[in-house]
Amino acid sequence: MQASSGMLTKFESKSSRAKGIAFHPKRPWILVSLHSSTIQLWDYRMGTLIDRFEEHDGPVRGVDFHKTQPLFVSGGDDYKIKVWSLQTRRCLFTLNGHLDYIRTVFFHHELPWIVSASDDQTIRIWNWQNRSLLCTMTGHNHYVMCAQFHPKEDLIVSASLDQTVRVWDISGLRKKHSAPTSMSFEDQVARANANQTDMFGNTDAVVKFVLEGHDRGVNWVAFHPTMPLIVSAGDDRLIKLWRMSETKAWEVDTCRGHFQNASGCLFHPHQDLILSAGEDKTIRVWDLNKRTVVNTFKRENDRIWVIAAHPEINLFAAGHDNGVMVFKLERERPASAVYQNNIFYITKEKHVKMYDFQKNVESPTLLSLKKLGSPWVPPRTLSYNPAERSILVTSPADGGSYELITLPRDGSGAIEPTESKRGQGNSAVFVARNRFAVLNTATQTVDIKDLTNNTTRSFKPPVGTTDIYFGGTGNLLIITPTAVHLYDIQQRKSTAELAVTGVKYVVWSNDGLYAALLSKHNVTIVTKTLEQVSTLHETIRLKSAAWDDAGVLLYSTLNHVKYTLLNGDNGIVCTLDQTVYLTRVKGRNVYCLDRAAKPKILQIDPTEYRFKLALVKRNYEEMLHIIQNSSLVGQSIIAYLQKKGYPEIALQFVQDPTTRFELAIECGNLEVAVEMAKQLDKPKLWTRLSQEALAHGNHQIVEMCYQKLKHFDKLSFLYLTTGDHDKLSRMAKIAEHRGDFTSRFQNALYLGEVQDRIQMFKEIDLYPLAYMTAKSHGLEDECQEILEATGLTEDQLSMPTLGEPLTPPKPVVPTYKANWPTKAASQSFFEKALLGEVEGLSLEDQPSAAPNGLGLEEGGADEPATKKAGALAEGDEDEDAAGWDMGDDIVPEVEEGFVNVESADAGGAASSEADLWSRNSPLAVDHVAGGSFESAMQLLNRQVGAVNFAPLKPRFLEVYQASKTYLPAAASLDPLVNYVRRNPEETDPRKVLPIIPRDLEYLASNDLQRGYDAMRANKLEDGVKIFKGILHSVLVNAVGSDGEVAEAKKLIASACEYSVAMSIELARRQLGSPDQVNSDPSLQKRSLELSAYFTIPKIEVPHRQLALLNAMNLAVRSKNYSSALSFANRILANGGATKITESAKRTKAQCERNPHDAVEIEFDQFAEFEICAASFTPIYSGTPYEECAFDGAKYHTKYKGTVCTVCEVCEVGKHGSGLKLFA
Amino acid sequence: MSDPFGAEAELINIESHFYQGQYQEVIDFDTTSFSADNALPARVLQLRARIALGQAEDVLAEVAGEKKPELEAVGALAQLKAGDAESAVETIEQLAATDAGEIGIVQVVGGTVLAAAGKADEALALLQRHQGNLEAVALIVHIYLAQNRTELAVKEVASARRLAQDSLLFNLAESWVGLRLGGDKYQQAFYVFEELAQAPATSSVRSLVSQAVAEIHLGRTEEAQAALDQALKKEPGFADAIANQLVWSVITGQDSAEYKAALEQADPNHPFLTDLAEKSDLFDKAATKYKAKVSA
Repeated sequence: MQASSGMLTKFESKSSRAKGIAFHPKRPWILVSLHSSTIQLWDYRMGTLIDRFEEHDGPVRGVDFHKTQPLFVSGGDDYKIKVWSLQTRRCLFTLNGHLDYIRTVFFHHELPWIVSASDDQTIRIWNWQNRSLLCTMTGHNHYVMCAQFHPKEDLIVSASLDQTVRVWDISGLRKKHSAPTSMSFEDQVARANANQTDMFGNTDAVVKFVLEGHDRGVNWVAFHPTMPLIVSAGDDRLIKLWRMSETKAWEVDTCRGHFQNASGCLFHPHQDLILSAGEDKTIRVWDLNKRTVVNTFKRENDRIWVIAAHPEINLFAAGHDNGVMVFKLERERPASAVYQNNIFYITKEKHVKMYDFQKNVESPTLLSLKKLGSPWVPPRTLSYNPAERSILVTSPADGGSYELITLPRDGSGAIEPTESKRGQGNSAVFVARNRFAVLNTATQTVDIKDLTNNTTRSFKPPVGTTDIYFGGTGNLLIITPTAVHLYDIQQRKSTAELAVTGVKYVVWSNDGLYAALLSKHNVTIVTKTLEQVSTLHETIRLKSAAWDDAGVLLYSTLNHVKYTLLNGDNGIVCTLDQTVYLTRVKGRNVYCLDRAAKPKILQIDPTEYRFKLALVKRNYEEMLHIIQNSSLVGQSIIAYLQKKGYPEIALQFVQDPTTRFELAIECGNLEVAVEMAKQLDKPKLWTRLSQEALAHGNHQIVEMCYQKLKHFDKLSFLYLTTGDHDKLSRMAKIAEHRGDFTSRFQNALYLGEVQDRIQMFKEIDLYPLAYMTAKSHGLEDECQEILEATGLTEDQLSMPTLGEPLTPPKPVVPTYKANWPTKAASQSFFEKALLGEVEGLSLEDQPSAAPNGLGLEEGGADEPATKKAGALAEGDEDEDAAGWDMGDDIVPEVEEGFVNVESADAGGAASSEADLWSRNSPLAVDHVAGGSFESAMQLLNRQVGAVNFAPLKPRFLEVYQASKTYLPAAASLDPLVNYVRRNPEETDPRKVLPIIPRDLEYLASNDLQRGYDAMRANKLEDGVKIFKGILHSVLVNAVGSDGEVAEAKKLIASACEYSVAMSIELARRQLGSPDQVNSDPSLQKRSLELSAYFTIPKIEVPHRQLALLNAMNLAVRSKNYSSALSFANRILANGGATKITESAKRTKAQCERNPHDAVEIEFDQFAEFEICAASFTPIYSGTPYEECAFDGAKYHTKYKGTVCTVCEVCEVGKHGSGLKLFA
Repeated sequence: MSDPFGAEAELINIESHFYQGQYQEVIDFDTTSFSADNALPARVLQLRARIALGQAEDVLAEVAGEKKPELEAVGALAQLKAGDAESAVETIEQLAATDAGEIGIVQVVGGTVLAAAGKADEALALLQRHQGNLEAVALIVHIYLAQNRTELAVKEVASARRLAQDSLLFNLAESWVGLRLGGDKYQQAFYVFEELAQAPATSSVRSLVSQAVAEIHLGRTEEAQAALDQALKKEPGFADAIANQLVWSVITGQDSAEYKAALEQADPNHPFLTDLAEKSDLFDKAATKYKAKVSA
């Protein structure tokens, strides 16, 4: 019963002989009419029998679904045509008229018509709406075996055992029945009459062509869906192809091959193929254009009676002696391979294309594989080798073959590969950059081949190997029908084995740590050492899978995209209306190929699995983020959380008070439980809560519950146990008030209130008990009273022996005042985070403003961070670029060329790459990296007048340390030293250059920001260090372009300004404590001056505001209202954070009343000046000054020749050729 | 498939372990079933593996008095590692002068001793007497590279390609050269190291470090970190791993002090440290040549 190899059988049923089949146009359903009178309705995807229809008497030979309506029609040997409803699954009505077996029935594609062919030699057209016979077509003089409507035109084609095929024109019938309704009376009469004559006159349906050519009866005939072609199958074992024009029809060709009666035939709906089937048990596929056999599928025992095609998708069905099979002609999975951001795939036209996931563009055709395999067989797999940019394609044609092809650098159209290497094999995959493995299933060997297609080694895989996959470097995953082996190629042995049946595909995770093994219905996730992590079963066929970067596997079935976490938790991501093959998952995008091999992007919502993943990984920040940013709600997630033991998290999702209460109880969150209970106020909930609270020892909540529930006895006992006598006596009062004597007695007992008890006994006339109580407590007066009241004497009483009087328990600790020390509420990290208690776990992207040491809240704190990019980018155009490009540098012996190593053959060590660096570059940093410190120093000295190198030592060593790696090579020898390049793609020894740690970009995004942070946080000592560090790092550095040179200059200038600014403020603080300063007029003057100078350097505006505020406040305190006013004005001009501007406004108002300075300082708010970096005194515009050639710090001329206080490296006033950062 | 009972096949696994730097596997290798011919090469490999794992003294004691030139050579290697370079070199020089200098093992071990003792040219002279011995070729490549004679190393590899293209040793030697040449060769070297490092059967701390080195050269710092982590997890005290970790941290602009301390502890004589100390002195010396005209 096994179908022959090559046939992709998707579904098989077993039944009696199947005579008629019909595909549902939309749903995965197939109708099968059987020789046994039954009609079956199958879901061929699920493989389930949906329904059976058994109203016919005898064999049913024809069935058809309506294209749009929920209807189907059947015709049988009982001469009846039945129309059925798919909704009620009932027969709606029966059309009677035929006088013999009915062979076929078909719906018209748009009109409410049915065409039937019968052994009574007629073809009839019926209207199923008014259930009437429209037309009877006579002409055939033997059984009519088949009659079908043309898919578009008003034609019918029929086949008969009279050896003819006839084409009928039914346009007359259409005219008559779709004519405008407004007809004159005459027309109606004429028509009525015509109708009658038509019954035998046949003007409604006339024979257009009679096709003669078959030598025996014709069993089946079909129109081509688009072309004027007809195909017919006959008992002469021939398949004939006919063509027709407006006026005539003729035989085109004959397909010979069937060796028994041909029973069915059809045109492939989309491809130039003919399919035919016959009693010789074969299904044959023919090339429509060449009329040659493309493929033959043979069944062992079953004669095939009917064949049908799905109108839309690549599916066919054949009915045979023992049932029905649904099959595909070819695999629709496009061969593809993903590498990094690209997927390489083969289109239906056998073109190799590439698609870039990031850019979302499809490449032009890289290569055409037209000649690969046979024309109708698509390639099966593709393996990509990034190192060689070559592909390995396998095709199942000719018993399996592979081809190794190098891709061209760029797609230049559908060119054939110029050079390819090929061979026999069923699977072929790359296993290393220069090796691939080829499996030959027939000989059961695996060959490891090099890129020249030579076998380098060969081994026998485990028995029954069906496929091989890449198994991590140096390994293969070998698939057998029952197991997967991890095979070590070097050692030639299986290092691990896992029993998984029927694995078809292997999908590696992006990090190569996990692989998903896909079989028809199972996904098994394994580690790279083939240990099973999880497995899951799908009832629907699995199609493909791809890994999310976070380690979530998304997989597709026929109709869904689903996900599974490593632990096996899974769920649905979205439904699919057509089958796709997932190739990659990136964020919200799922990239896939559809069956036409077109790249598609599915937008999905990854929230659910991301959340579950976060939960599994206990990544609470992420969970929190998801909760707050997405609408993740719904019963499923709550149930999931509850099931997984995270009720406290589930609690966050729930609004419904009842559920909230339940969850709160479950996770012991009593606060929420109380809140919800109050809201709902149901006795049942209070009871639950009281129990839970009691278990927690939270007696205050218990008390509240009992109060709500009016459980007086329990309350009393609770008060007793907690020692709350006040409340206990109140309970007694309440009991008295309620007239509940038992309760009152109880409370009196708890309280030890003897009097009260006696009183109560008296009230209810229980004098003996009252007496006994009094007596036992020695209350003789009471006894007497009772005796008197009852008129008895002591003698008359017979007394039992009395024990000790009852003493009520005394509280040792007043427990009622507070709850018992309960276990710290299990407030998870998560909840805390939600309550905002966890520090540093802020949900905003920007960290909250750092606490500010300058004594104010600074709203604009975050501004510089956002501004930094802009600040660096806004290069000053007037910078003199020429100054950076002096020919004065020492570049020793560049022209001499590179030392010829050949000549060093005689022996002795040659110069290392490090030496080359200093030859190749005029930059100091490259000399440093090369270890040539002397020449580096010389360069810096000439460029910027560097003289004091000690502060540069850490930077020198840092650059030097980054330059070399240590490769453990031969045993017992020192590691080989290799030199790390910043231009790794360069191989010319004259151009290689060393890597530079902490380059400009790094400095701008790290050190500079830390510097800003230090400024904000008022950590000025640290800040000065950081900015000086930046200066040193830039001094010994390299950049990639002139543009970056400008950026570097900007960074230097900025670092210098900050360094000076911070130093000024530090100098001010070193003057002494505020009291000391204020008591000494000269110190006070200096302090005010320095605070004013602090506002001069060109630092970022928000930081300048801080300086101004500082200066303003100091000035106000020293009654320098005029200065303060100027600072306030500057603050207001700058704008920004309201806190500061408010303060400035207030100060301004205050100062304007008396704009005078109490202390005269050297600070002219109207003059233009800069600050000398050594003395911190003004250098007024126009006076001579000196500067540092490197950082540009300004100095009074008397400092010429000293070391710059800012960079601490260069000599003030020594002008060099300018710093060179870019060669 | 090669003959599983052939003389070569017996040694192939233990040799592979050795070349892959899986020294412990070499020592643990069951050699009892080896044929008489292979017993000695296997023993030499095991002894060399022990030396590589720092058990030079034990090995020295074990081979004392052995008369076979192979074991004498191993003894010299152990001597060298135990700190007595002079007599080690002497032993090898004597062996090289005799017919023993034609024995492959003596060449390789002797070459190692001479190269480690700084007599690179002598080592090359001895090694160049080899007859199709890949290990000698690999060693020659190493020595050339250490001498920065890259062109010669390239030539050596090219000529060895004819000898054995699919051999592990060849691939390694080619990769060593590749890391020196750079460009596309970085990636190819990476493939080789990664292939070894990431397969459980062939992974060793040396191949992991090699992989990391290749990644550093390729500028893929994150991946390099992953490989270094793996290496340091496998053997926290492996000096080369620490040295490269240190380099990595400098390149990525992170604090390297911790690794420097670790390296000083693991191998105070590591080339990185000696070199750095030398450069530090050089800096101080060079810096004295400059000073400001006016002292502040």
